[in-house]
Amino acid sequence: MKILVCITKTPETTAKIAFTDGNKEFNKDGVQYIMNPYDEWYALVRALELKEANGGTVTVLNVGDSSNDIIIRKGLALGADDAVRIDTDALSAYQTAAQISAYASDKSYDLIFLGKESIDYNGSEVGGLLAEMLSLPYVSYVSHLEVSGGVSTVSRDIEGGVEVSEVSGPFVLSAAKGLAEQRIANMKGIMMSKRKPLTVVPPADVENPVEVVSYTLPEGKSGVKMIAPDDMQELVRLLHEEAKVI
Amino acid sequence: MAKYMCMDTLKWLLNDVHSVVDLFKYERYQDYDKDSVDILLDTAKSWSDQEFYPIFREMDENPCKFVDGQITSHPNLNRILKKAGDDGWIGNTFDYDDGGSQMPHAVANATNHIFQCANNHIPGYMGLTTGAADLIRTFGVQALKDKYIPKMMSGDWGGTMCLTEPQAGSSLSDITTSATPQADGSFKISGQKIFISGGDHQAASNFVHLVLARIDGAPAGTKGISLFVVPKHMEGNDGTLSYNNVETISEFEKMGQRGYATVHLVFGEKGDCIGHLVGQEGKGLKHMFKMMNGARIDVGMTAASTAMAAYHHSLQYAKERPQGRKIQNSGKKDPNQGQTLIINHPDVRRMLLLQKAIVEGSLSILLETAKYSDLAHVEEGDVKDEYHLLLELLTPIAKTYPSEKGQEAINNGLQIYGGYGFCMDFPLQQYYRDIRIMSLYEGTTGIQSLDLLGRKVTTQNGAALQLLLKKINEVTDEASNHDELKPYVDQLNKAVGNVQQALGYLLPMAMKGDYESFLADATAFMNMTSNVVIAYQWLKMATSAKHAIVTGDTTYQSKFYESKIHTMKFYFKYELPHVRATLATILNDEELTIMNEDIDVFA
Repeated sequence: MKILVCITKTPETTAKIAFTDGNKEFNKDGVQYIMNPYDEWYALVRALELKEANGGTVTVLNVGDSSNDIIIRKGLALGADDAVRIDTDALSAYQTAAQISAYASDKSYDLIFLGKESIDYNGSEVGGLLAEMLSLPYVSYVSHLEVSGGVSTVSRDIEGGVEVSEVSGPFVLSAAKGLAEQRIANMKGIMMSKRKPLTVVPPADVENPVEVVSYTLPEGKSGVKMIAPDDMQELVRLLHEEAKVI
Repeated sequence: MAKYMCMDTLKWLLNDVHSVVDLFKYERYQDYDKDSVDILLDTAKSWSDQEFYPIFREMDENPCKFVDGQITSHPNLNRILKKAGDDGWIGNTFDYDDGGSQMPHAVANATNHIFQCANNHIPGYMGLTTGAADLIRTFGVQALKDKYIPKMMSGDWGGTMCLTEPQAGSSLSDITTSATPQADGSFKISGQKIFISGGDHQAASNFVHLVLARIDGAPAGTKGISLFVVPKHMEGNDGTLSYNNVETISEFEKMGQRGYATVHLVFGEKGDCIGHLVGQEGKGLKHMFKMMNGARIDVGMTAASTAMAAYHHSLQYAKERPQGRKIQNSGKKDPNQGQTLIINHPDVRRMLLLQKAIVEGSLSILLETAKYSDLAHVEEGDVKDEYHLLLELLTPIAKTYPSEKGQEAINNGLQIYGGYGFCMDFPLQQYYRDIRIMSLYEGTTGIQSLDLLGRKVTTQNGAALQLLLKKINEVTDEASNHDELKPYVDQLNKAVGNVQQALGYLLPMAMKGDYESFLADATAFMNMTSNVVIAYQWLKMATSAKHAIVTGDTTYQSKFYESKIHTMKFYFKYELPHVRATLATILNDEELTIMNEDIDVFA
């Protein structure tokens, strides 16, 4: 089984988010990055589980510059066999999907995994776009996966229940919570990660049709007010006069 | 999940301030690079988030229990220690040939900081097993290494250090546990050991105790003490375990670290208890103390980390708790104005800055000391000796400052919580109780202070202190390149002069043979010296931060760097001046604490 796992980096969850250039650019100064948790905890770990059960290889792929190598190495530390970095900035979901598609189209992957969304832009677009570009089936938000023979049984959480489908042959999967359990790398994996192959490939000639007009931050959270448990009158007053919700 | 440590600060200290990458040029550490260290730290954080922090409160609320001769700790400890072994966290600083990862101590201490911030009850189990295995690895014969080290490193067997006895705590020369030679070269061990951390629990199938004992007929005092490996169960050739008469008779009920087992062991009372000599006869204490630097740095790190976690909880609380109103320039408060968050009150900010100054200063000196430990290991000749001297000098400080001032830091954090800080619903009380042991075990503050003044400062005619001064001068020279930092260079130089002045007063007493007077105020000397050492750390941090600002380094946001410079200024205004007061105490020739039979001081 030959599995490709697409991974991206996202700002660390406590990073302070700010914008520059007339709110058109994300200010990267001082921001620390992590591997997108949906890519790492669910997509990559389930891919590793399948490899461990059935044999095969897991390749992690990232679109980005060399500053992303550390999150790629983390993927290798967790157990991926090798890695590919497409050496260009990820500018939009479309351009990212097109870059991955251009690379993967002739590699005959049995499965292509990625997280259901990145926790920064939350676009949830790359998976669908990539499947379309590769002319492969796409199953999104997968919370359970079993592979037997050439058939995959996938479950998705839907409103009020679970939808179960079967997919034959290669397909693209976006991973949701529940697909696997977060793994912690071990010392051997970490130390071996820099000896595993990381291939840097030049980007394909792909257009980026997306232009960001501006970003805005959500409204900040207000402070917490502590109220004595038996002071219902004060709670009602605050909800009415300050929060204005009743 | 509440924030319990600052990864940016840790990485910045490790990479920028202390340049851990310098170590990677040495053959021993050549498999490491900045990225692998970052991944190690991130991995430690993920594991801590997943397993350590969630049970921090539970381990206090449901402490270790002694029932029917067995100690039970938190049930999750079983899988945590198994994973620690499987994933290579136990003994990770050991040689590759011994199953380790040759991890630099500076890096291992940084990962330990994360674990300790998340839950100071758990890492000791791993650390003591590592320490015990290290003793066997360093001094034991091959048969002992083969028998014990693999199972200790796998997490299947726990390790302990058994020094203290009911009648012999700080005074180890008075231990009475005996070792009777047997015809086969082994020894029958008999005696009691108390306060044995990690000495028994359900998460290990066997315990390997490293025991100080006297061989029959050995001379009195420390020269008669030898070191033995004494397992709770002996392993037969077929792998079966048979009881070796190491009996656990109680778990100490403590005010803090209640999830970290502390037991009372009795050896050989109900049958033969067999031990094997580790290292040379009569060198037991010396062997044990070879490992003690690491153990003391570990305790300092536990203290710094416990106080670090308390600081982050206090900071979060101060950012969320509205109380009172800001004072207007008129000196009045506007009752119609909404309440302000308490972080806006100067006195609360003072307490938070004091916490920050203490905990980050502590972390910095601990990482520097650990780096010296690595350099002492890999360097050769005179340079090796110099780093060893620095390590020896700084170890009692790196143990004591975080242990003592960490208590003060948490006390201020608890104050920020107001009455809630006193309540069990909030975590500060637990940190306050947990840290209290740090200035007691692995050598009390009094013992550390005697070690600093009576041994480390005077060794080789003050060579270690001269080396430290050289390090301080390197920092002050660099800081002097920045106008903003120049005033603090002067202040630090004066404080260093105060320490020299104190020594100028004290050392002649030692030369005259008046050791009791010389050492009577050793703790005061520790206070002033550690204060100066932390000031040196803060100037070093501020210089690194200033350099980043000047050169446009955007690894971290500019406000991150500015906060470090600001905290340095706070330290120099609020903490460093205490050096002068302590100097005055030391220079005061009234001898008020030395026993004088003519006066009943406590009448």
